[in-house]
Amino acid sequence: MSEVTVPAAQRAPEAESVSPGRWVRENLFSSVSNAIQTMFFSLVLLGLLRWVLGQIFSEEANWTSVATNMRLLFTYNYPTEQFVRIWFAAGALFLAVGASFAAWNLNPMVTVRRVGVALAGTGAVSLVVGLIAPDTTPSAVRTGFFVVGIGLVALALAVLKVVPEPHRRQIPFIGLLTGVAGVICGVLWFFPFGDYGFADGAPTAESGTIDSSTSLPVTVMFLIMIGTYLAGRALARMIDLGWLRRTMIGWWVIGPAFIVFLVLRDPEFDWGYVLAVDVPMGAAFALGGGALLYLLAKPSRSELARVIGALLVALALFHWVAAFFGWYPMLQKARFSFALIAVAALLAPTFAGERAARLRFAGGWFGFMVLFHWLLTGINTPSTLDIAAPPFLGGFVLTVSIAYYVMLASFPLGVLLSLARTSKMPIFRVLATTYIEVVRGVPLITVLFFFSIMLPLFLPGGMGISDLAAVFAGYTVFSAAYMAENIRGGLQSVRRGQYEAADALGLTTVQRTAFIVLPQALRVSIPNLVGQAIATFKETSLIAIVGGFDLLRIANSTIPNQPDFLGQKRPALFFISLVYFVVAYSMSRASRNLEERLQAGQAR
Amino acid sequence: MSIADQALTEEMASRRDMIVCRGVKKWFGDFQALAGVDVTVKDREVMVVLGPSGSGKSTLIRCINRLEVHQEGEIVVDGVEMSNDMRNIEKIRSEVGMVFQQFNLFPHLTVLDNITLAPIWVRKRARVEAEAKAMELLERVGIPEQANKFPGQLSGGQQQRVAIARSLAMEPKIMLFDEPTSALDPEMISEVLDVMKDLARGGMTMMVVTHEMGFAREVADRLVFMESGDVVEVGTPEHFFTNPREERTKLFLSQIL
Repeated sequence: MSEVTVPAAQRAPEAESVSPGRWVRENLFSSVSNAIQTMFFSLVLLGLLRWVLGQIFSEEANWTSVATNMRLLFTYNYPTEQFVRIWFAAGALFLAVGASFAAWNLNPMVTVRRVGVALAGTGAVSLVVGLIAPDTTPSAVRTGFFVVGIGLVALALAVLKVVPEPHRRQIPFIGLLTGVAGVICGVLWFFPFGDYGFADGAPTAESGTIDSSTSLPVTVMFLIMIGTYLAGRALARMIDLGWLRRTMIGWWVIGPAFIVFLVLRDPEFDWGYVLAVDVPMGAAFALGGGALLYLLAKPSRSELARVIGALLVALALFHWVAAFFGWYPMLQKARFSFALIAVAALLAPTFAGERAARLRFAGGWFGFMVLFHWLLTGINTPSTLDIAAPPFLGGFVLTVSIAYYVMLASFPLGVLLSLARTSKMPIFRVLATTYIEVVRGVPLITVLFFFSIMLPLFLPGGMGISDLAAVFAGYTVFSAAYMAENIRGGLQSVRRGQYEAADALGLTTVQRTAFIVLPQALRVSIPNLVGQAIATFKETSLIAIVGGFDLLRIANSTIPNQPDFLGQKRPALFFISLVYFVVAYSMSRASRNLEERLQAGQAR
Repeated sequence: MSIADQALTEEMASRRDMIVCRGVKKWFGDFQALAGVDVTVKDREVMVVLGPSGSGKSTLIRCINRLEVHQEGEIVVDGVEMSNDMRNIEKIRSEVGMVFQQFNLFPHLTVLDNITLAPIWVRKRARVEAEAKAMELLERVGIPEQANKFPGQLSGGQQQRVAIARSLAMEPKIMLFDEPTSALDPEMISEVLDVMKDLARGGMTMMVVTHEMGFAREVADRLVFMESGDVVEVGTPEHFFTNPREERTKLFLSQIL
């Protein structure tokens, strides 16, 4: 009997790593037609690059206009004495980012090879820039590009040669982030950009490094973010990740509002009024509502809960109508709270359960009401900031604040609209379709005009709407219509069998939509939704039309109108293009990562 | 004796009626899918429904838990009449579990979450209790180690067994099976049929639409042969396979056996 030797399990043969020269030959010059195209497009690209560099380094371009106005671009007219609030706000955001990264363990691994290739690529681009740059480039800058280029390529080659098996070894993303943060901080502390600013209304420029009032907070913020992440991972085993995730989600919904309206705005609370009126009202809604929800959430009381919920909705609507016609005065806070308790009461049957679940539901309501009333009281209290022209936000801070909350608010509104549009009930379908088609048929500027200029005219006396709120409402209404259509596309991708299985198990329509249909629909819609979010971010520049001073307006109008920099548009516009690009590209990359994460275990 | 009560033994005839269909008719537009169906399924009975494609067997089963709506006739499930009243429908659905040909597992949830979703949110059980029950059911169908995987990572046979466990988690009194093994590779059919045989032995009332004749012969209490929306013949397995009465039945059997 012959012996059968079973070969040891073999690894698939490794793809040969291709040398750069070979790659170029095979991909760019493989045939005559390819070679001609390569050369033609290379010339076009290099020509474009040279033109851009010419613009950047031309004699007319005065980059001092950007350097001096950094504070203006980022925070516009925020008073300098209160600047510590800006740093506090930024620090809180970085802390939240670090904690979120830790809570969701966002730390993808990158292979050493990819890092090396990226470094080599950047170095090569830098060398090309040094070579292509037109004659007007200062020689110091040109030398700088050569130095950086050669340095990066050398570093890349060293890394790829020294580290064994570079295509297998992996670096965690946080490691890369620390490296990048280190480079940024190093540049801020040690690179002689010069110290620019305004003093007595005139721009100042000194040689040397950037003022420590900027470099220090930025360094501290990076330390906070990375430190929080590391602490979070270290504690991951001890703390309940689920609780941390829920807390972070809660923070990201309401935290930035607190930062903007309470930290940056610094309202001056009239403690007498607050303790006499606001606190009792808040307590009444929080405690009363909590008790009501606890009672209604008992499974046997589902019918009663639905009835009471419907009554409360009617009551809430009545309050709004009454306010519109001025029948009786009621604080805006109370009207909002009634509407919210009505919604919560309607949802009570869905969240009904045993005692622990009911307590959680009521407790959640209580916490939410406390925060909500605190926030609204703060918003309605005048600010202590001494700012020439409202609003108190401008520049990059305004752009980001508006974009963030518009994205956050238009998403649930879009979900509701898309569900209404595909609903079986004709009234919802008609209303939703009308809304979506009307809003989609109208330019964004028109919507903004309507909300900020015309809407205050329609509102009766005594009912006002602040500028920021009007703009925010306009953007949200607009963006929600597009989100709704994106989500509707996703809804159509959910197979009918899923609906049937959910029905067969006895899930209610709300439960089926929330647990089965929406998660699958949203996963499919992510690329469209993120595209819409990026568009929203860039559309914030239209706020200039209704009087806001966002990043684009400052670069396009304010800076060129400064007496020292008359007509200097290009440097500032180039700079903000870079800022917009960095933010939009980060959102794109994050969306790709999110899609990959959610693909795990999905249909093969 | 109506065709529905044919071939019942004395003992079985004394049991409670779990599913009663009387004169059920259904149209899809102009096409009549069910032409007056009379069927009775008794407590703890395993009824297998056979027939060529288009005979209305799937439609009949789907009418029983209101996935399809019948236009004429009545359907009574465990004493509750099927009507447009949502409360009746919810009551019936909580007693009846269904297993689909395409499994219809929820792809974004793990196997464990698939099984515990309904008990937690419909029966309002605590998570810990629901998960314990789910693990018990997974062991019963033979795949406890797959609890934390996603459906996309399982084979067809494993997915169908998870689907069966998911329906069992709601503690139904009746289980409906709509061609549960038709979408499976031959090697995996037996593992699912074993689970179903185990269920039958345990006394579950089952109504199964299938083409698996071996299963029908072994486990069914009665067989129903349908064609073009009519119930043609009802009989016990011995009677059915050895000496069918109707010509149409004989023709069908000659084609498939």
